[in-house]
Amino acid sequence: MRLPAPRSLKALTLLFLCFFMFATIATGLTGYIATRASIAQLVDKRITGESDELAGRDGDAPIPVIAARIASEARARDSADLGMVLTDGAGRVVAGNITLRRALPLGYSSVADADGIIGLTHGRALVRTVGGGGHRLTVIGETEPIDNYNAARARLYLLGFGSIVLIVMGGLIGFMVIVSRRAADIRRTVDAIVAGDMARRVPTDGSGSEFDQQALAFNRMLDRIAELMAGLRNVSNDIAHDLRTPLARLRGQLVALARAAEGKEPALSDAAGQAVAQADEILAMFAAMLRIAEVQGGDRRAGFGRLDLAELARDVGATMAAVAADDGDVLTTADRPPMWIEGDRQLLSQALINLIENALRHTPPGAHIHVDVAAAGEGRVALSVTDNGPGIPADQHELALRRFGRLAKDRGSSGHGLGLPLVAAVTRLHAGTLVLEDAAPGLRALLVLPVCGA
Amino acid sequence: MNLNLLMVEDDAPLAAMLSDELQRYDHQVTVVGDGGDALLELARHRYDAVILDRMLPKMDGISVLERLRREQATVPIIMLSALARAPEKVEGLEAGADDYIVKPVTVEELNARLHAVLRGRRWNNAGAPSDTIEVAGLVISPARFRVWRDGKPILLPKVEFKLLAELARNAETVLTRAMLLERVWGYDFIPTTNIVDVYIRRLRIKLTEDGSEDPVVTVRGVGYMLSA
Repeated sequence: MRLPAPRSLKALTLLFLCFFMFATIATGLTGYIATRASIAQLVDKRITGESDELAGRDGDAPIPVIAARIASEARARDSADLGMVLTDGAGRVVAGNITLRRALPLGYSSVADADGIIGLTHGRALVRTVGGGGHRLTVIGETEPIDNYNAARARLYLLGFGSIVLIVMGGLIGFMVIVSRRAADIRRTVDAIVAGDMARRVPTDGSGSEFDQQALAFNRMLDRIAELMAGLRNVSNDIAHDLRTPLARLRGQLVALARAAEGKEPALSDAAGQAVAQADEILAMFAAMLRIAEVQGGDRRAGFGRLDLAELARDVGATMAAVAADDGDVLTTADRPPMWIEGDRQLLSQALINLIENALRHTPPGAHIHVDVAAAGEGRVALSVTDNGPGIPADQHELALRRFGRLAKDRGSSGHGLGLPLVAAVTRLHAGTLVLEDAAPGLRALLVLPVCGA
Repeated sequence: MNLNLLMVEDDAPLAAMLSDELQRYDHQVTVVGDGGDALLELARHRYDAVILDRMLPKMDGISVLERLRREQATVPIIMLSALARAPEKVEGLEAGADDYIVKPVTVEELNARLHAVLRGRRWNNAGAPSDTIEVAGLVISPARFRVWRDGKPILLPKVEFKLLAELARNAETVLTRAMLLERVWGYDFIPTTNIVDVYIRRLRIKLTEDGSEDPVVTVRGVGYMLSA
């Protein structure tokens, strides 16, 4: 089985950290072991030399001579740190500067604390038979320059390599945070643009770093896209404009035809009347397209004024109540105290009408639609349209909202499908947000707008 | 009613098309392309109404309007403009336009508005001494929000009343849906659901409840009219 290659930043960082830790520990351990081995080797060499000096290379020096040499060596400056013991065949000490708790085996061996040699924690011992007659000469050398050197060395290694690991880990996490933060910046920008905020750009800090350059390049791409889109929009606006005039003329001729045939040729008159209605639909669509373009262009801001949103909701609600009643639905509007905002009365009325039309369209007859205005905290006010229809599942609210921002065909119902994009455009123009909520049952569409500054 | 109209429009194809269409309604149309020419033409001949484009090459529509109104010219003027924003509309009306239409406009709309403007003039010229309007057997008091037929009051909700008052003020003149939305609701847009049709239906029910004939006439493709 092949494991998938790690792709996420976190997985890569962890993997790198694992390899790095392994390599660091291996280096530390190898160094530690190698040092110990080479120290043991050096000590072995020294005790061998000392042993040779005491008993001769072949260990054939007479016992009294060896004993005398031990006594003098034990006092000498360069060998006083060595332990030397000469024992007879029965294991009795003949001469020496230390006592042994156990009989050490012949040849090289290690000694430690447990052997009870005063002043020795770790060491090497060489035991050989000398002078015939079962005498044994033991020479012991310390492998540690200071007591508990091994523990100190382990501590040192831990400290050194540990801090390296910590520094690397900290660096990696920092790196990870920086990279993921930059990635999140880009992601947020992309999300905002997808949601319709075409003016959003990736934040830059002017540092000229690689990240900054990438952000700048990304922003340049967005500028270019915006330019192309504006061009496209202009073209479609021009088309809408240019088509409206001949369409209006065509409509006029159809009206004249319908009127001429009236009373004389009812079938022709009806057909012409229907053609007029269709021409009106197309004209309404062009009007909506141009309206959206006008709102998106931001020119309408010049027409902003102080207005009472509660009053606007009451006016529109009262008008649309008759339309709802015509469809067999009930529309009510809450009577609220004044809520002052800065905005365009016409556009907000149109947006509210569109939201109500949308609610009427997506609810079965007999539905109840409620229009309300309420403070939404943080200097904001929410204009809401709530229905008790089938609603939209919560996990699809986001999708539905995104659809607000583009020309989605209204699932086989009446209307030209430009109503909600216009609501989205009007909301943006007013620096507001459009929110969908579950009204349990039904859907609540909220147009959240900033209230008038005091 | 055939009118003698002056059209001030620098967009020649549009001017030709509109004057063509207006001639179908038996109006006579003279076209000039600039504000200065318009003032000369108005000094020389008598016109029933002026269709004035807002943006003109030399002297723009607003200046023409202000000049004419300063000179006490009373000729009705409809301003045509590509500028749809509320402040621009207000500016046009304040400068003395009788109506302000955003381009493009259908000839039915333009014709209906011309008639409405002229009708309003006649009404004003007659002095309108009383604050009530008497039409189609109805007595309407816009100031008091009341309407009577044969001395009996007809109870109308506010919007239906405003709609009736607007139709009555322009009796025998067709009002388009756009005009009604503008004057009754104050909307400069046409919603998808036809609010005007819904309210006309409600108004008709109220007006015919007592068995009277429906005074509201539907003019196909254009709008509604109250027959006298």
